[in-house]
Amino acid sequence: MARFFVERFLGMIATLFVVSIMVFIIMELPPGDYADRFAFRKFSGLGITVTEADIQAIRVELGLDRPAIERYWSWITNIVLRGDFGMAYAFETPVTRVIGDKGFLTLALLFFTLIITYLVAIPVGIYAAVRRGTAPDYGLTVFSYLGLALPNFMLALVLLYFANRYFDINIGGLFSPGMERAPWSLAKLWDLITHMWLPALVLAWSALAYQIQTVRATMLDELGKLSVTAARARGVPEGKLLVKYPARLAVNPVVSTMGFDVNRIFSELPIVAAVLGLTELGELLLRAYLDLDMNVAGAILLMLTTIIVVMNFLSDLLLAWLDPRIQLGG
Amino acid sequence: MDPILQVADLSISFRTEEGLITPIQGVGFEVGRGRTLGLVGESGSGKSVTTKALMRLLPGNARIDPASRIRYRAKSGEWIEVHTLRDGARALRRLRGGEIGMIFQEPMASFSPVYTVGNQMVESIRLHTPLNRREARALAIEMLVKVGLSNPGQRIDQYAHELSGGMRQRAMIALALAAGPALLIADEPTTALDVTIQAQVLDLMRDLQRDLGMSMIFITHDLGVIAQIAQDVAVMYLGTIVERGPVREVLKSPQHPYTRGLLRAIPSLDRLDKRLSPVPGDIPSPSERPAGCPFHTRCAEAIAGVCDRIPPAETVLGPDRSARCHLLAQPGRATA
Amino acid sequence: MAAIDPRPESDAERRARERYYSASQWTLIWWRFRRHRMAMAGAAVLATMAILGLFAEFFAPYGPTQRNATYLSGPPMVPMFCDHNGCSLRPFVHGTRTERDPVTLRSRSVPDPETRLHVQFLVEGPRTHLMGVIPIERRLFGLDEGRLHLWGTDSLGRDIFSRTLYATRTSLSIGVLGVLISFFLALSIGGAAGYFGGALDYSIQRLTEIIRVIPVIPLYMGLAAAMPREWSTTQVYFAMTLILGAVGWPTLARRIRSQLLSIRNEDYVVAARLAGAKPRRIIAQHMLPSFTSFIIVDLVISFPYMILAETALSFVGLGLRPPAVSWGVMLQDAQSIRAIEQAPWLFIPAVFVVVAVLAFTVIGDGLRDAADPYSDAR
Repeated sequence: MARFFVERFLGMIATLFVVSIMVFIIMELPPGDYADRFAFRKFSGLGITVTEADIQAIRVELGLDRPAIERYWSWITNIVLRGDFGMAYAFETPVTRVIGDKGFLTLALLFFTLIITYLVAIPVGIYAAVRRGTAPDYGLTVFSYLGLALPNFMLALVLLYFANRYFDINIGGLFSPGMERAPWSLAKLWDLITHMWLPALVLAWSALAYQIQTVRATMLDELGKLSVTAARARGVPEGKLLVKYPARLAVNPVVSTMGFDVNRIFSELPIVAAVLGLTELGELLLRAYLDLDMNVAGAILLMLTTIIVVMNFLSDLLLAWLDPRIQLGG
Repeated sequence: MDPILQVADLSISFRTEEGLITPIQGVGFEVGRGRTLGLVGESGSGKSVTTKALMRLLPGNARIDPASRIRYRAKSGEWIEVHTLRDGARALRRLRGGEIGMIFQEPMASFSPVYTVGNQMVESIRLHTPLNRREARALAIEMLVKVGLSNPGQRIDQYAHELSGGMRQRAMIALALAAGPALLIADEPTTALDVTIQAQVLDLMRDLQRDLGMSMIFITHDLGVIAQIAQDVAVMYLGTIVERGPVREVLKSPQHPYTRGLLRAIPSLDRLDKRLSPVPGDIPSPSERPAGCPFHTRCAEAIAGVCDRIPPAETVLGPDRSARCHLLAQPGRATA
Repeated sequence: MAAIDPRPESDAERRARERYYSASQWTLIWWRFRRHRMAMAGAAVLATMAILGLFAEFFAPYGPTQRNATYLSGPPMVPMFCDHNGCSLRPFVHGTRTERDPVTLRSRSVPDPETRLHVQFLVEGPRTHLMGVIPIERRLFGLDEGRLHLWGTDSLGRDIFSRTLYATRTSLSIGVLGVLISFFLALSIGGAAGYFGGALDYSIQRLTEIIRVIPVIPLYMGLAAAMPREWSTTQVYFAMTLILGAVGWPTLARRIRSQLLSIRNEDYVVAARLAGAKPRRIIAQHMLPSFTSFIIVDLVISFPYMILAETALSFVGLGLRPPAVSWGVMLQDAQSIRAIEQAPWLFIPAVFVVVAVLAFTVIGDGLRDAADPYSDAR
């Protein structure tokens, strides 16, 4: 088990390293750098016309004229050693300040979504397999087609429309107006929870559709296996049999695709966040892209990907613990 | 015979997309206490389905005909009418594992891969006895010793995939017998084994039978194995028992053309230069059952006009000895 | 003692059997696909969309950027056969008249239930070119005077129906190009990896794994954000297809590679090898047929993701930009609550997206079942 852990851990570090290089490449893609914008902002307030030389001077001052590899290295070491993500283009504020507690909000949203997904998908999938061919099972198949076809952000739009039209409530946002800037307290936490369930549901939508089908398919597979018949032949009562034997194995693919679910949730996040007006990393990422503020965008992209990689790692460990066959095969 | 199991008029139908199929028709046999009944027949003759019905392990689309009678004598002495038990009944769960046990052709597949051997054994023991966990574990270890596993204290905490093939076979037997059933159904346990391992397993099963006073139903298509392990034999063809009786008698003087054909088909070291003589043709699918006697389409001695129209009744040939063949039913002779 | 044969085969049955055995692989797949009702429905829907999009100049009464200043954010006009004045064989809509809004004091068009404008078919319109090449002058339908807005207009007075048709063309074609580009990349890179094997294969494999770890839409967005603002519509269009292809190839490459490996280990390939067949023949005769049928399924399944990606990107402003029209661009107008409240018909492109994705998914499922000879068609 220890060797398995070390192998996976080293793999994770290597992946993160390569990912950081890719993120840096993305950050470098837009033409130009922000020296000219910085110069304009700095000097226009003082009423001085900006010249090429000024821009170049700023470039040197900010270290933007150094070769890419050097800049990458200083960027990544700053992050890893000092937690310093550099300066946001727009505000002359450190990126960390711009991001603020949005990282925690995003994580909270993520876990809420995952909890909803697994708490619903596993029992429902098992039920659908046991009651195969009946009306509820068929309904779930329709649901899973819809889940794939109706993207999360469209669902958000539809829900927004209906909530507004028929219930006259505005369901957007992670907080009630005013609560957002307030310091953290129990009241704020409660406010967050009451607002978070809807975005979490929207984000969970397609993951649910997929996982219910996965659990159902695996259960059907497992139900036909000899080990289940053998257990029945030993007199294990049906209910206990279901949970102990096939269900336990049906959970495996869910655990192994956990990283994939997180990946997909984060992928949909910016757009859903834009529609629902959520103030967290996804929405900030979108704004950063639109502003071409690549320091912020790169930082968020790195954060999101890191969370995904870590979740992959954790789910690998969890899977190995659940299924003793894994450790032998690797 | 002092029977522990009596089966009569067992018919089983399946609801399929092609309609109602009745692959098992009118099966009847008895298993004697402490004796082994060999159930022999080609693949597709319905041996597995019949024995699964004994423990009501058939899938949801199966229906046991109401005229069927399955009577099992429990360890307590009372007779259980298995065919009347409802699905999910307590008595049925107690029957499974506690009174009747079953082992299968693939030992690896019959264990769950995520629980240890011991976990599954202890589960079975505690379902059928009032022992606590410690006592159950001790009993499980004892069982592992009885089946000839070395290092039982270690094996009990291992997973099925950690054991070698032979050890898995023994562990599977131990698992089936853990709760102390009086009747063991062995569904082709030696079919996938090579001859030397096969001999070891058969020895083990004979010893267990002697030590535990166990009765057995042994399913196989190999007449040689039957000769080694069974005292009684029932020959099945397309869902009916065509001949049954004590092994020595049936093998020495088979009364049914199918049995005769099977015996003739066994390759012999004495006839190395002669061609093999299989039973001609193929077993029909259960949905295309021939009219009359099911074997008539492959029988060299079929009587036209009789065998292809009228199903043969069971002709009693002696105590616990009978066959279903028109050739045996002569006018004036009593039929069972 | 004859073999079991209930009754002799009729002539018709024998001919059918021969047809079956001598049919080519693709014919067989087509026959099986045909039996899949939902997949056929999906194919029909998709074909309709494609035709509407391809010949948008004909089917759409107006151009994609044509404005009707008198009918801003106007609701859909549904042609009817009867109104309070009686019925007519030809469908018509009510004309409009201008009146002053009592609240805002601005003039606006309102339906005039007394006038009738009959819908004309094959009307004449300004000369335009079908797909930019073939000159036409007629449109499928329209009005002699006034404008017929089947699905309403947006805040700039542009006809939603026409714009949706042009958007269909753009969105579907971007999807096709994106899939083709990613397929080409996946085949070359994956093929190279498979062919050379060893370190190249290993590193390419690791690379694809790592690319797939980065969340897809943020990755798309990162690449799209790099498109300079000054680029023309066409440049943006092609850049989008490249971006879609560049991000999509790892997933496709992975699937291709796994198919290749599993086919290579199939018993029939091993048998061919043992029988002494040359590698060229093994690949062409044995591996390629089953490979291509699975790959086509993979390609069809990739479409929904491409279409959704383009829609999402354009929706947030990081994809195609006006004056280009795609479903995503049109949905940009439907972003806010106010827009949804006041003009819910702006949502109609969303219906197209959902239907297109559903159609592709169903076709993909049907193809998969049809291509797999072991799946039970019943």
